[in-house]
Amino acid sequence: MAETTYIDAIRRALLEEMERDANVFLMGQDIARFGGAFRATKGLYERFGRLRVVNTPLFESGTIGAALGAALAGKRPVLEMQFADFVSCGFNQIVNNLAKTWYRWEAPVPVVIRLPYGGGVGAGPFHSQSPEAWFAHTPGLAVVAPSTPREALGMMKAAIRDPNPVIYLEHRVLYRREKEDLPDGELLTPLGRARVAREGRDVTILTYGWTVHEALDAAAEAAKEGVAVEVIDLRTLVPLDEETVFASVKKIGKVVVVHEATATAGYGAELVARIA
Amino acid sequence: MRLSRAWDNRFEAMARAGRIGRWYSAVGNEATTIGTTLCLDAGDAISTVHRDLGAVLTQYLDVNRLAPSLFGEGDRTAWDAIRPDAQPLLDRLACQVFGRRDGFTVGHDRSFHYGLVKPEWGIRHVGMISHLGSMIPVAAGLALAAVQDGTKAVVLGFIGEGATSQGDFHEALNLVGVMKLPMVLVVENNQYAFSTPLDEQYACAKLSDKAPGYGIAGETVDGTDFEAVWSAMSRAVARARSGQGGTLLECMLPRMRGHAEGDGSYDLIPQAERERFLAMDPLPRFEQRLAALGLTDDARTAEVTRVATEIIESTVERAIAAPEPDASEAWRSVFAPGEIADAFARQQSEVNHG
Ligand SMILES: Cc1ncc(C[n+]2csc(CCOP(=O)(O)OP(=O)(O)O)c2C)c(N)n1
Ligand SMILES: [Mg+2]
Repeated sequence: MAETTYIDAIRRALLEEMERDANVFLMGQDIARFGGAFRATKGLYERFGRLRVVNTPLFESGTIGAALGAALAGKRPVLEMQFADFVSCGFNQIVNNLAKTWYRWEAPVPVVIRLPYGGGVGAGPFHSQSPEAWFAHTPGLAVVAPSTPREALGMMKAAIRDPNPVIYLEHRVLYRREKEDLPDGELLTPLGRARVAREGRDVTILTYGWTVHEALDAAAEAAKEGVAVEVIDLRTLVPLDEETVFASVKKIGKVVVVHEATATAGYGAELVARIA
Repeated sequence: MRLSRAWDNRFEAMARAGRIGRWYSAVGNEATTIGTTLCLDAGDAISTVHRDLGAVLTQYLDVNRLAPSLFGEGDRTAWDAIRPDAQPLLDRLACQVFGRRDGFTVGHDRSFHYGLVKPEWGIRHVGMISHLGSMIPVAAGLALAAVQDGTKAVVLGFIGEGATSQGDFHEALNLVGVMKLPMVLVVENNQYAFSTPLDEQYACAKLSDKAPGYGIAGETVDGTDFEAVWSAMSRAVARARSGQGGTLLECMLPRMRGHAEGDGSYDLIPQAERERFLAMDPLPRFEQRLAALGLTDDARTAEVTRVATEIIESTVERAIAAPEPDASEAWRSVFAPGEIADAFARQQSEVNHG
């Protein structure tokens, strides 16, 4: 047992998977000696060397395209975008190349793209975006957004092992704020399964990532007034666990969708449309 | 080269007759695509675009088995010992291009948008997506994996001169330079991109002038001169294999056809230039050179052309008669089997029946 922050949980997942499978390697900007802008990869360069913790030039399309090539050669690359916002510079490689490789010739491309996303840290319009809808819209990509250290660990490990490209959204507010005691040993979280974060009977909140914690806080407040809020942490946005979502919606019949991203044509609109 | 040419001639004729939608001819590119790919060994990788039929045929086929009447035991290479039977592979390629069930994408696509990675055959081919330039970083990634695994494999990427204007060209060559990756990028400079001539595409004298900017080797050769291509590529492969890094190899080509067969783009090229281009055909040039070296004569050259044409004729006829794709294939999952694919299937069944 050790108290583990969200960012340390990500690092633990990377470390464990790199030790388990020699084909797992990391690529990104400033991730080697420096350990990454948020120190997610601290110490891994010293442990695994420059061919498994690959510091890249300042580019995104080049990194993502090269990761696809390496995956075709049997590797399992995990990429760090320095900020989620910059993934737009690699958009074409994700939506046209990575996402469509399985469909076009049934070659598996196990590439995980880590996106430190979201606002709340005063970083301005180019370091605060929530780009999940871009990728949720694209067939062939899994999109996940773990909300706790335990799930950051378990979902990263599951994402690395899956044969598909996975967009892994990690909210920066959670990095050092969320801590929990995590047991040693293999912790895996199934992909494509939502989690009932709090049971209730009066209203369902559907949410993911950082806003899971906001929703839980709100539920605690509401409980004081006798309102029992059910909070569903989606965990995986694509593919959506409709079983869990629909079960809650059918049980209660009142739903609030909470996310941080833009409201217009956002992922929330998709949720609302599916449950309508 | 005659096999590639015969294939093109057949598809050009079908495009003109309206029997297929489009055809991007590789006529004129053969000395470049084949001259470079012949320098590779089993386990090296190629990344092709739309005029690289010659490279695909060269990597896939054991020509000795395909045309036994033309070759003797001495022509077999060590690689041929692990290659599969050539004719079935050629049939699959034809089915691919006709969108038939037995093509590499089981009918999902009707083009060179696919890949064939069969290490046990020594074949590692990554085909293009339509977005030109996008495959150059992918080729660099194959080269990165070769360095990580210490395999000494070399990656040969192809690109037209038009697509060198893409950002991915810059990003990938920069990575090749910084990491000293074993990759050769061959630019098939046929002097036009769709309708756009060179002076509207780039402002340097030669595209290989860009190589020093990336810290890699650069060379420009006459891409219709088989021997010049072959020796420049041999040098580039030797550099890559010995850990000295990548090469940008620019092969100057004549545009002997329009962009796509019958799209009118050839009419934009001035008559005098067209005539000059058509006179630069690499095939008779190579045949004359071989004859001068005493390696062939008129009778053998004619026989090679006849056999190549016959092979292509029968291959195409079989592909035309081959079964159409299975309708159930249209529902192929966008996810590879695993937890995510299972979750997606559950979601699909909710959508369909929920
Ligand atoms: C990113 C992108 N933009 C535009 C096109 C449309 N397009 C297809 S082929 C072509 C010209 C390509 O020229 P070049 O790279 O010189 O190759 P060539 O056809 O001359 O062999 C264009 C513009 C494309 N396929 N991809
Ligand atoms: Mg061109």
